Amino acid sequence: MPNLAFFEPILIFTLLNVAMTIGLYVTALSGQLSMATAAIAGVGGYASGILTVKFGVPFLPAVAAGAFMGGALGCILALLTLKMRDFILKLTTLAAGEALSVLAFNWDYIGGANSFTGLEPHTGVFTCLVVALLAFYVAWRFDGSRLGYAARAVRDDPLAAASMGVSVAQVRIITFTLGSALIGMAGAVQAHYLLVITPSQLGFFVSLNYVIFLLFGGLQTLAGPILGAVVLTALPEALRFANEYRLIVYGLIIVGVMLWRPDGLLTRTPLGVARRILGFTLRPARLPKGALRAEDVLSPILPGDGVAMTKRN
Amino acid sequence: MDLFLQQLSNGLVIGSTYAVVAVGFALAFTVLRVIQFAHPDVFMIGMFTGMVAAGFVPGGGLAVALLGGAVGSTAIGAIIERTVVAPLRGRDVLTTLIATLGVSVILQNGMAVIVGPDPIPYPRLLPARFYEIGPVLLTLRQMFCLGLCALLLVLASLYVRRTHIGRATRAIAERPDVAAAFGVDVRRVCQITFWLASTMAGLAAVAVGSLYGSASAFVGLLYGLKAFICMLVAGNRYFEAVIAVGLALGVLEALVTGYVSSSLRDAVAFFVLIGVLYLRPNGLFGSYAT
Amino acid sequence: MSALLKIEGLAVSYGSVPAVDGVSLEIEPGELRVILGANGAGKTTIIKTIMGLLKPRSGTIRFDGESDLLRLRPHQIHQLGIAWVPEARQLWNTMTVLDNLRMGAFEVRDKAMVERRIGEMFERFPRLAERRHQLAGSLSGGEQQMVAIARALVSNPRLLLMDEPSLGLAPIVVRDVFALAQEINTMGIAVLMVEQNARQSLKVAHFAYLLELGRVVEAGPAAEIAGKKSVQDVFLGGSA
Repeated sequence: MPNLAFFEPILIFTLLNVAMTIGLYVTALSGQLSMATAAIAGVGGYASGILTVKFGVPFLPAVAAGAFMGGALGCILALLTLKMRDFILKLTTLAAGEALSVLAFNWDYIGGANSFTGLEPHTGVFTCLVVALLAFYVAWRFDGSRLGYAARAVRDDPLAAASMGVSVAQVRIITFTLGSALIGMAGAVQAHYLLVITPSQLGFFVSLNYVIFLLFGGLQTLAGPILGAVVLTALPEALRFANEYRLIVYGLIIVGVMLWRPDGLLTRTPLGVARRILGFTLRPARLPKGALRAEDVLSPILPGDGVAMTKRN
Repeated sequence: MDLFLQQLSNGLVIGSTYAVVAVGFALAFTVLRVIQFAHPDVFMIGMFTGMVAAGFVPGGGLAVALLGGAVGSTAIGAIIERTVVAPLRGRDVLTTLIATLGVSVILQNGMAVIVGPDPIPYPRLLPARFYEIGPVLLTLRQMFCLGLCALLLVLASLYVRRTHIGRATRAIAERPDVAAAFGVDVRRVCQITFWLASTMAGLAAVAVGSLYGSASAFVGLLYGLKAFICMLVAGNRYFEAVIAVGLALGVLEALVTGYVSSSLRDAVAFFVLIGVLYLRPNGLFGSYAT
Repeated sequence: MSALLKIEGLAVSYGSVPAVDGVSLEIEPGELRVILGANGAGKTTIIKTIMGLLKPRSGTIRFDGESDLLRLRPHQIHQLGIAWVPEARQLWNTMTVLDNLRMGAFEVRDKAMVERRIGEMFERFPRLAERRHQLAGSLSGGEQQMVAIARALVSNPRLLLMDEPSLGLAPIVVRDVFALAQEINTMGIAVLMVEQNARQSLKVAHFAYLLELGRVVEAGPAAEIAGKKSVQDVFLGGSA
């Protein structure tokens, strides 16, 4: 048996990164690409850390609290950016993440610049596998749900979606909250593996990694974020032999993929690399039978005037 | 009052360098619709090539360093334009952002392989002289940095406002298709703009290196982020606004350092950004539609 | 006489949605032709493809007998002598009227010639001369249309493409615009116009095409087309 201890951290980080990138995928489903993933994960981590260390709360409830806090932050960010155009939204989330990082840096109760320490180890490969599978299952079900379709409608054309009776605001808040809850959960679990949370972990450059994972893999299918996170987490490890050159190679691969496949490795097109590499593309869980009418998908979300109008016509 | 004036002057010096990098961002973004995330690293490359040039020519000093910085940054900018930015023109902003981020990773770590990950001493190029202007104390290096950046900013503004090709730059920024249909070789103008932004960054980098007396492969990280924020806060419609915001951010940071705490200094930019984007999503002075 | 512009079998799609589907048309030197069609018929797509801003799936576009426009980039097409009055004018709103006109002949190296042409435009449109230092975005719709037309004429083109010049203008201004198109045409410049306003445009045009869902369904001399029942029903009748 090769040294398992060598692979364990890689496996753990891969699984956690998969979970977080899936969370980002869910957030982005309605067109909001958050640049604050690390901050959300960090808030989840701090929350569960504070609860376990300062209040003696057990691991599982603390992780749940981490997920809750992550979701709450996502909800706040969604509200803050509701009216903003796509590009500005990304930048606002970016700035919010950075601001939180600075806040953590200056808040002595959670360790401030000295980092938050004293966490107990609770996380192993099995825990991370559960987290990744849970994130996958939630995202998969969400992808194929009516809300999932509504989210994509909002992403493709908010105005058209609104005219069909979708509440754009509601859909955006839900996707941001749900995705962030997944990220918060993974962040909490990660904190109990690293055993220390540093403010710089919340920063923009860490968040950017998850955006790179997602865009590298492609954000059109659920398989994209999984592939992106797995490849790009494992890659620097696989390149360890290249030592100081490995990050250069990492950069070259990212540039190469963006030039070669600007929409990411996996796309929806049948001829996409997905089929060639994997032989399949993950599709939403429940594809409604027959032709999909907008009313079928959207009416339960908000029984607004939009649907009635469509029917009159 | 004296502290205020001193911090104001210090802030203007730093702010002017933010403004130069921010204007480079703004030029690339308005004309090419590309967030050139490797722009701060072009700045970094200029800093090092300037240092190398100064070392090669004994007694050459400042002029050689500036020349070396300009040549190095322009060359690296031209390579990035040719290999990454031009092929991705017209793509989603995010795709180019990730691609230029990849370039940034390559440049930073490439330079770290050469010079090591830690800051190294930078030739001071100018004598350590002080000047008292009223209650304010400024070093010669500070004054040179401010003067050079001011000159670059004035030239950039003249280029955009007064020259034939600069007018094309604005035409492309507002309506790329129409500009092309009226005889503007968009690809060419984009290229030239990109080169100029890189040259400016390289020149400023030499002044900054001399000012701090140290250089690092990772100088671009926070520096670039702040310059980028300046562009967003100002909006990209008026280059003058980008300059003003760059200066203002430098001053604000200096005042926070002087009166509050230096650990909060780096947060100022982000709080300003959130506040401005929340109230005015297109920046304080408006942006071209993207 | 050989055609100045000759389009054959042009097909353009946006993604998988065809916008123009096998269109052939031509225009001779000194002619004024109009392409009539409703929204979404593919009129603007044709104009933008001529200008080199869209790449067609198939087809050929020849200008002046030999130059194959599809191999050229937009600024090169402009240099051949094709100028464009875009839909909804699309002026550079943040530039002055004067700068807009200067940009109209960007690649002309002879500065004196450009200034002379701009002087001629200001003579023809005195209103613009008064407002030469105002930002184009601050002008009224009619004035903006004058700037858009003057901008296209500064480079002294041989073919003028006008994309819905009457769109969004007051009725009285609309009449001026069509009269102006006719005046430009009598100066010897071929004009290819795209319009929804059949009544007015058929009065000034020599020849007309009727475009429906990306296909030419009728073509003939303007007077003949104006008499067709299908055209009268759709464009000249009481509907709207």
